[in-house]
Amino acid sequence: MTITFNNLLPFPLEEYPHGNESVWKNNFELHLPKKIVLNASSGKGKSTFVNMIYGLRKDYSGELLIDGKNIADFTLDDWIELRKEKMSIVFQDLQLFPELTVFENLQLKNELKQHKTDEEMFEMLELLGIGDKKNQLCKNLSLGQQQRVAIIRALLQPFELLLMDEPFSHLDEQNASIALNLISKETDANQGGFILTTLGSYHGFQYEQELNL
Amino acid sequence: MLKKILFRNSTNFQFIFATLGALVGLTALCLSFQLTLDVQSFHSGEEDLFGPNSVVIQKKVTKLSSLGMNNTDFTDEEIEGLRQKEFITDVAPFESADFRVALSEVKGDGLPPFYADMFFQSIPDRFLDLDVNWEWNEDSEFVPIVLPRDFIMIINYGIAQSQGFNQISEELLMAARLTIHIKGESKNDKKIGRVVGFSQKISSILVPKSFLDSANEEFGSGNRIQPNRIFITTVDDSYGELEELMDEMNLDIAKSAIDVAKIKTIIGVIIGIFGIAAILIMLLSLMGFVQYSQLVLSKASYEIQTLLRLGYPIKSIVKTFIKQMTVIFGLITAASITIMLVIKLFVVNTWLDKNGIHLEESSIVPTIILALFCFGVFILSNLLNIRKTVRNLGKIQ
Repeated sequence: MTITFNNLLPFPLEEYPHGNESVWKNNFELHLPKKIVLNASSGKGKSTFVNMIYGLRKDYSGELLIDGKNIADFTLDDWIELRKEKMSIVFQDLQLFPELTVFENLQLKNELKQHKTDEEMFEMLELLGIGDKKNQLCKNLSLGQQQRVAIIRALLQPFELLLMDEPFSHLDEQNASIALNLISKETDANQGGFILTTLGSYHGFQYEQELNL
Repeated sequence: MLKKILFRNSTNFQFIFATLGALVGLTALCLSFQLTLDVQSFHSGEEDLFGPNSVVIQKKVTKLSSLGMNNTDFTDEEIEGLRQKEFITDVAPFESADFRVALSEVKGDGLPPFYADMFFQSIPDRFLDLDVNWEWNEDSEFVPIVLPRDFIMIINYGIAQSQGFNQISEELLMAARLTIHIKGESKNDKKIGRVVGFSQKISSILVPKSFLDSANEEFGSGNRIQPNRIFITTVDDSYGELEELMDEMNLDIAKSAIDVAKIKTIIGVIIGIFGIAAILIMLLSLMGFVQYSQLVLSKASYEIQTLLRLGYPIKSIVKTFIKQMTVIFGLITAASITIMLVIKLFVVNTWLDKNGIHLEESSIVPTIILALFCFGVFILSNLLNIRKTVRNLGKIQ
């Protein structure tokens, strides 16, 4: 997958200066599969960047192309197809279903492509230390636990690009590192890449490319 | 699982309101439709013989007519005038016998001895729909006769008692032969006749036209007789025009004949109003349901948007809603048909039976088709509404 940025700039960030290194107002391409980190302080537009690529924000100038096609021309059905087949995401606000149990949240996503078996999903929960929460309602979990559920959910489909918006903000370094290793392994298995946004910590991982805002 | 999260926030009040509305509306609609079908098929045995909209008209006999100053015959112009009326589809003057007639029993056929002066009239065969042989020709074994039903009543409850002979059943009268005594202008003759049916509507003694024509030629004086009674067929629901005509031409019409048409029209109007009310209730409940699904959709907007973000196709979300709606409407439709049948069989029919009205059972298939049509309209309108709302939710994410 190739993502092309042509002078892309969200309207809310128009009044701020952007350097040559910034993803805003510059022309460049991202070639996936590649493991990419986007490191920036708060308020620079990390979530905006992720949401624009995922088709959730349209308030920008310039162009954003995925595999040569301008995403401004994508229909809702095009986006849904892309999200089902090629692009996965861990939202900063997680967007789990609070009334469903941990395992139901995972099954709901997995039903779309039958990407993993129940056993494999349970192994992931165990690996991230929340195997015992399998049948608990998501709304009763701590934020850190919910974050791990959201991470696993994002891995339950084939993807060429996995977008993660501060996925470890509520995890300690050790758990973040375990999760990142799992993400990396699944990314390789899918022969895909990811873009991970972070507030500064690299979680001891060697990324192939770093972007700045 | 989709169902679990999409219907989690649905409220019961709107649902119960809309369900009740749809149930009452659809039941009322089915009932009025079914009753309309039943009333359409309503007819007395008499109408079987002469068609539902046929009546006999004659001019009223007044004091002047008794004095010979006022003729009750219909002129050719008047008959032509009747033919011109838009609400009259068929006109047939009665033909009368141009000779004197008397009837007596045939010995050994079971009837008591009698001899009575009579008269014969005929109407065109197309007005008769008797399930008997109404054909007559020179070789026929007997002359078929239709008597007024009142005639046998007069015999059985009047004459028989005062003359001291036994009462005669319709079956006996129809089984026995009669001797027809014809006294013509120049010669007399006897023929055999047989009663083939009774009529409530026509107070006349009818014989086949073919017989009367032939007998008039053989025994008649040759003078043309102007008809004084006319058989007419009217279009549906024209009793208003008919009454107007009665006043205009000073006519006499057997009241009972037009009463059926009148009652049918009145019942039709009442059922029609009931049906329109039912359609209105249906439309309101349809709106109720559309609002209900709108409410469920808006309460589940977070869930729908999240599902779309996770890559769930619009189709599968819409399908989840429609599946649920189909079950609800399916139950409503089935319940409506059941309630309609129960009301029809145990309330309406019982009441009609009690009041001596017998409606022929018409098929319930058209009503079921109507109910299924309503079911289809409900599903389709909800499908379109749900699809549009889900799409809009997807676009504003």
